[in-house]
Amino acid sequence: MKRIICIGNRYLPEDAAGYLVYQHLIQRKLPKEVEVFDGGLAGLDLLRWVENMERVVFVDTISGFGAESEILLLKKEEISVLAGKNFDHASGLPYLLRVLPDTCDGQIPEVSLIGIEGIPDCDTVKKAALLALKVVMGLQERSA
Amino acid sequence: MVGKRTINVPLNRVEGDLDVSVEIDNGIVTDVKCSGIMYRGFEKIMVGRGALDGLVITPRICGICSTAHLMCAAMALDTIANVSPPPDAIRVRNVTLMAEMIQSDMRHGFLMYTSDFVNPAYQKKDFYESSVKRFEPFKGEAVIETIRETKKILEIVAILGGQWPHSSFMVPGGVASIPNQDDLVKCMLLLEQYRKWYEEKILGCSLERWQAVKSSEDLDQWLEEKDTHRNGHLGFYLQVAKSIGLEKKGKGYQSFISYGGLKIPEGSALNDKFDQGQLIPSGFYHESRHQAFDNEKILEHVAFSWFEDTDAGVHPSFGQTNPYATGYEGQKYSWAKAPRYDGNPSETGPLAEMIIGQNPLFVDLLKKQGANVCMRQMARLVRPAELIPAMKLCLSEIVADGVFYQRHNEIIDGEGYGLTQVTRGALGHWVRIEEGKIAAYQIISPTTWNLSPRDSEGIRGPAEEALIGACVNDITNPVELGHIVRSFDACLVCTVHTVDKGNKSQILI
Repeated sequence: MKRIICIGNRYLPEDAAGYLVYQHLIQRKLPKEVEVFDGGLAGLDLLRWVENMERVVFVDTISGFGAESEILLLKKEEISVLAGKNFDHASGLPYLLRVLPDTCDGQIPEVSLIGIEGIPDCDTVKKAALLALKVVMGLQERSA
Repeated sequence: MVGKRTINVPLNRVEGDLDVSVEIDNGIVTDVKCSGIMYRGFEKIMVGRGALDGLVITPRICGICSTAHLMCAAMALDTIANVSPPPDAIRVRNVTLMAEMIQSDMRHGFLMYTSDFVNPAYQKKDFYESSVKRFEPFKGEAVIETIRETKKILEIVAILGGQWPHSSFMVPGGVASIPNQDDLVKCMLLLEQYRKWYEEKILGCSLERWQAVKSSEDLDQWLEEKDTHRNGHLGFYLQVAKSIGLEKKGKGYQSFISYGGLKIPEGSALNDKFDQGQLIPSGFYHESRHQAFDNEKILEHVAFSWFEDTDAGVHPSFGQTNPYATGYEGQKYSWAKAPRYDGNPSETGPLAEMIIGQNPLFVDLLKKQGANVCMRQMARLVRPAELIPAMKLCLSEIVADGVFYQRHNEIIDGEGYGLTQVTRGALGHWVRIEEGKIAAYQIISPTTWNLSPRDSEGIRGPAEEALIGACVNDITNPVELGHIVRSFDACLVCTVHTVDKGNKSQILI
């Protein structure tokens, strides 16, 4: 099974990119082995939704990686190194990926992140959604 | 350097949106300002939306306390709709909220709080090596165990609510899901697994043995009794806390508030110890006296908060959240308001529940030691010992495929509130509906009580007061302040979690 987990805060435009991609994806016909999931602000609690997946693609807002509206495909290792030394209520994805090897029950999936800089327009949302689908299906491994 | 210094301390492991500015004179904290540095504005977002929208929006206020906000939103609408949820709906609500509480208690304990015990300031202490083994970030035994075990317990919310995360399954009149027997069995198994871990690794004894600890003498005896008690994470915590004097730090005002919580449904065997119809009693403890809780005695002040001024405190039913950050350079310093009960800054959270609930151990400790950091954190670590049996009983009383919803009229006009104890203490939603739309929505979170700024009289908030007089040995590593602030388990807001490549350069504790 493969899963796209879109994360972010739908009520805060600066953090809503993941949610917008989620909204786009649920209106598309998806391959039957792909699930799309609105991870909201669940952070470390998403661990359970990563376990036993073959491949997981997160979609989230990023900051400081590229230009405004740029879409980047980031590897798990590029995100987990950003985890602060200690857990806090805003730890989110970097912390989850950092502890994943020691806390995952069952198969550890191949994980990547589709990161979107800033507040995306409709075109950017659509491109990010398509990239997420390609990556989760194993059809693309690097940013275009 | 000896002398007067002011340092700003952004607190990681508390919440990225909290700054604590402390004035230190010859190593002693002489003044404090706790600042919420992000405007939330959820109260404004709510106005003009549909009457039921609070059920969807407020669980997204926080990624940690979603169920808590949902509970308050639903309770407020129950009142407005004048509807009483069926007993099994109350049980489902209770079990899911308690799942969130026992998860968060352990996560705060072993992912946030005890990280300070591996601070370089303690490298020469006897406990340091064992602390590293248990609490080192990403690696410590307690850290990994806590993540592994706590990730499962929230499945109870997903199973009973039928939706997760940021669930909206509580609705006026009950819950929107109908658990079947399989669901209930799965929840019971998850709870049993959690209980087993909690007994073995945290307490080092059975829940029943821990519940027999009723005084400071009993606590000393319990620690002496067995290696498993001393080597459990609770026992180890108590030994470390004693060795660094946490029982002498962070006294605060010793005023405690609880709204009460976990309504006891009709026909339940849950113990209604205070005859209030709720498992966690409400009350106010001030100047060593217990008082009955009265919602009307809550007022919010904004004299030191970045909001439009009011003459004095305002009850949340009439409260406004109008940001106003200019014209008061140097006076206003927080986006949090300052709630006061009967004019008093009041601490809330597990310790407040223990004191107001007259738990004999904590009543005895309060009498002998006064409130302190060690006690505040211990209350959080042992709260699951009280909640797990209650969860088990609630689950066992739910009738599968039964009645979980009571019909009611459409909500057009009305006013109500939902007040309950949640993970970090007293949470309240005050709601007014006009012509089917939200006309006013005010929220006071537990952290607003604990980390409040000064009020109209210039009186400090509870955490601010608890920091006064604290000794700081090294202002470049003020670990002592971290112990005190973190003992309040602050959570200002979880609205932003963008993956950020930037680095902060301020002093982090």
